[in-house]
Amino acid sequence: MGNLQSTLIQLWQGFQFTFGIFFFTLIFSIPLGLLVSRGRMSKIKIVSLIFQLYISILRGTPLMLQLLLVYFGPYYIFGVNLGSIQIGPFNYRFIATIIAFSLNYAAYFAEIFRGGIQSMSKGQYEAATVLGFTKMQTYFKIILPQVVKRVLPSVSNEIITLVKDTSLAQVLSVTEMFTKASAAASAQVSVVPFIVAGAFYYAMNLIIETILNRVEKSMSYYS
Amino acid sequence: MPDANNDIVLDIKAIHKSFDDLEVLKGISMQVNRGEVVAVIGPSGGGKSTLLRCATTLEKVDLGKIVIGGDVLCDTVDGRCVYCDKKLEKEIRSKFGLVFQNFNLFPHFSVRRNITEALIHVHKKSKDEADKICKELLTKMELVEKADAYPCNLSGGQQQRVSIARALATNPEIIFFDEPTSALDPELTKGVLKVIKDLAREKMTMVIVTHEMSFARDVADRIVFMDGGVIVEEGPAYELVTNPKQERTKAFLAGY
Repeated sequence: MGNLQSTLIQLWQGFQFTFGIFFFTLIFSIPLGLLVSRGRMSKIKIVSLIFQLYISILRGTPLMLQLLLVYFGPYYIFGVNLGSIQIGPFNYRFIATIIAFSLNYAAYFAEIFRGGIQSMSKGQYEAATVLGFTKMQTYFKIILPQVVKRVLPSVSNEIITLVKDTSLAQVLSVTEMFTKASAAASAQVSVVPFIVAGAFYYAMNLIIETILNRVEKSMSYYS
Repeated sequence: MPDANNDIVLDIKAIHKSFDDLEVLKGISMQVNRGEVVAVIGPSGGGKSTLLRCATTLEKVDLGKIVIGGDVLCDTVDGRCVYCDKKLEKEIRSKFGLVFQNFNLFPHFSVRRNITEALIHVHKKSKDEADKICKELLTKMELVEKADAYPCNLSGGQQQRVSIARALATNPEIIFFDEPTSALDPELTKGVLKVIKDLAREKMTMVIVTHEMSFARDVADRIVFMDGGVIVEEGPAYELVTNPKQERTKAFLAGY
């Protein structure tokens, strides 16, 4: 019983990092994804090509490799030691994790947003133009709200995947939940910590699913 | 701004428009006087819609001149077509309304918001003012009870009437209709045509691209028959339909 209690405490400590990775990745990757999708759709060929390459590489290589590259790259490539950086409660391991996750997820989000934006009919833009809306007004009032509704199911998929992907931060020894579970499992010679960690991940995703379903429902008043 | 041409709301002079190598408008000129209803008829691909899109700033012409409500949208100088600056273009856009074939209502806005959004955010009217205008227009369209409905809950005919109300809301000098009933079945068409007829009676200046020949004959003052990127024939509505002069016009009208 004491084992389980200490496991729960350890995993809870890890969970806070897991949640942190999840939260900050969403905060940064969604706006970044919007920007990347704009760049990908740019009429200037070279700009579009650069963002296409970005998306291709970030989606085409393992996230774990990207994590290692962001963490070790500055030192091995440029000889810059960032290991001592500390922003508030966050050390460089954590910051590197957020950077790698955000860059990676932005690539996926960008393609989802591009699909949503390109699925909008030309008529919506034309009606807005003729009514005198500026480009910004058209984008934020007319296009984006409709795009959000269209991309929400795909975005939900990514969000749920992100929850589970946070465990990859283990590779940088970030003390997130999975790292803690692994440590507890080998110390106790038991799979219980893994099962408890699994329950944590599942519970988190269940809550997220419920919230996303509500949001989707709140937008179902039009088709 | 009152000037000698105050009675001419739309003045198009020798406009040319090509898409890649295909010349769609080959030097079209037309004038529309205040209070006049002009129907543009002709076979598909004849350039009717492109003409309307050029007049409503959705396409840029290659050559020629367009004047709307006394403001020059574009003019040709030294063989090059020059458009006015963005500020004037925006002002010109407030002088006309456009009704699309497939309505293009904003699906995430209620009927009321479809009509008031531009009034509030483009024309800087207060919400109360905008609501008042909206209510008047919806009464006219016999849709006042639908103010809080969403477009997806309306029939095609009702949606088109909402889009007419949206176009009227900013009190434009001229309204363009791009085949306003082509997406509707005959039953729903009636309601939309009635609304346009009422507007004609109120002396609203209108240019209507249509395939409804009897409607064009009865409602328009003048009909323009376009084919192959040129105006083949134009004249008083009744006369053109009942007694066309050009062989091409005769052949087209024989199909109706």
